[in-house]
Amino acid sequence: MNQFTLQSRQRTFLIGFMLLGLLCMVITYLTDDALHTRFWTNYLHNTVFFLGIGFISLFILAAFTTSWAGWYVGMKRVWESFSLFLIPGLVLMVPIILGLWGHFHHLYHWADKAEVAKDVILTGKSGFLNPVWYTFGTLILVGAWIFFALKIRQLSVLEDTQGKGVADDFSIHRWIRFWSAVFLPIAGFSSAALIWQWLMSVDSHWYSTMFAWYTGASWFVSAMALTILLLVYLKGQGYFVHITTNHFHDLGKFLFAFSVFWTYLWFSQFMLIWYANIGEETIYFHERMTNYPALFYGNLILNFVLPFLVLMRNDSKRKTGIMVTGAVITFLGHWLDFFLMVKPGARHTAMEALASHGGHGEGAASHALSVAAGFSYPGLLELGTMLGFLAFFLYFVMTRLEKASLLPYNDPYLQETTHHAVWPYAEHE
Amino acid sequence: MKTTHKEVLFGLYDDESVLLHAVHKAKHDHLEIMDVFTPFPVHGMEEALHLSESRLHIAGFIYGAIGALTGFMAMTWIFTRDWPIIFGGKPYWSVPAFIPITFEMTVLFASVGMVVTFFTVSGMGFGVTNPTLDDRITDDKFCIAFDVSQSEEEEVERLKGFFRESGASEVSTKTI
Repeated sequence: MNQFTLQSRQRTFLIGFMLLGLLCMVITYLTDDALHTRFWTNYLHNTVFFLGIGFISLFILAAFTTSWAGWYVGMKRVWESFSLFLIPGLVLMVPIILGLWGHFHHLYHWADKAEVAKDVILTGKSGFLNPVWYTFGTLILVGAWIFFALKIRQLSVLEDTQGKGVADDFSIHRWIRFWSAVFLPIAGFSSAALIWQWLMSVDSHWYSTMFAWYTGASWFVSAMALTILLLVYLKGQGYFVHITTNHFHDLGKFLFAFSVFWTYLWFSQFMLIWYANIGEETIYFHERMTNYPALFYGNLILNFVLPFLVLMRNDSKRKTGIMVTGAVITFLGHWLDFFLMVKPGARHTAMEALASHGGHGEGAASHALSVAAGFSYPGLLELGTMLGFLAFFLYFVMTRLEKASLLPYNDPYLQETTHHAVWPYAEHE
Repeated sequence: MKTTHKEVLFGLYDDESVLLHAVHKAKHDHLEIMDVFTPFPVHGMEEALHLSESRLHIAGFIYGAIGALTGFMAMTWIFTRDWPIIFGGKPYWSVPAFIPITFEMTVLFASVGMVVTFFTVSGMGFGVTNPTLDDRITDDKFCIAFDVSQSEEEEVERLKGFFRESGASEVSTKTI
């Protein structure tokens, strides 16, 4: 079956989870503090996480196309569909942008003009960290990503009908390669700028040059994990018959390799800050190690130790059960990683704002923070919100999958993907 | 491969795909191949020869684990017992600073250990010289070798026939 159809059962299931997510968000909003910190941090966390998966899928497609890879072609429709999530992702960013202007959320310390005026560091950064940059940076850069996502998707679908066949016409493929090559450098620089604004500026005083890559690696692993889970599910439904154990083996290699790459970046960021011991840098880790130890160390276990040991052997990447386990662990692990990026900083900002509005003065933040669901650990509401976002993501992706054949008939690399074998394993064992 | 005074009958092929077909044919005809020599790894040769999976990577994991422990324990000993010095206000036993060296030691032990193991297991240990059937095997020829020390005349003829049919460009014998 090369034509995917979303059955009504699946549709009901996904819509049910979307409603659950919505319900969780409403409950969070209603039971929240005066600034709705928990609601807004959850919203930012999940939006950036899933938007990033969309972005990195486009990056993966562009990188593979430019490097003349052939093995992935059988699953490129999945990544094309992922990358189109940039469109709803941008729409999801709009409330956060509006909130900066309307001041109805307190995610970013730098958005508070009175605070910036009496703070030398924030004044110094205000050339970049201001609502104008945030708004137009997000709109223009994500807009550019959407342009490339649509361009590559359109050409790829066009190739199915207009490409004259595998052997004699590569003109459409050349255009896909052209747009991919143009996208790569743009993606490299623009993603860093957006990650600084969306995530790093939650801890407004803090900065790290490793942060953009570290976050990008997190997106990459999450995207790979989600691809594996979705492909295993769809294969079980009878689709993607041309995807074999060999393709999963290679996806597993990426999952493994980028888990290690993520650890490398995580550690590089940590060690340099630990070693230099400059107060304005160490505060980021001090905060997390003292007040969020379970998340801080759990992050390393879930995203490095477990995938490293589980996915290391050749054989384990060829067993569906182990791959699904590894993918679930890393997906949740990186979702928690983003949780830990967003929550402590935003919580701090909110507590200071609440204290100053309430007339208690400064210093409220210097106390040891209490353990609180939704901040110290993800509560059931966070889990529900995540499932809602995930259901929305999958629903969107599956409706995109319906729009085109799952196997790109006229891709020049079609034969390579259908005969893909991972050395030293035989083809179709 | 040590010098054992074996009588070896071998055929040279010009092309790897011809060689691969020949190996399949030999297996099909139940001919006992002594070894196959190629200038570079040929895809699919493992299955064609029914070789079992290499256990080199298990050895590699063990060497790596030993390396990690060695590096970490050595630094622990040096910086807490042998020569404790305070660096940049950090504690003597400062684990994050040990990680890069632990990593390097892991890589060093795993890589050197695997190279030495591989060379030893393949009979290419230090001080061992190996006879070559034909120098061109290391350049552009692909070779299938049969041990014919114990073989009858008709068996040898049968093997020569196999070489002719499977497309070998040259057939020779050599005692090694």
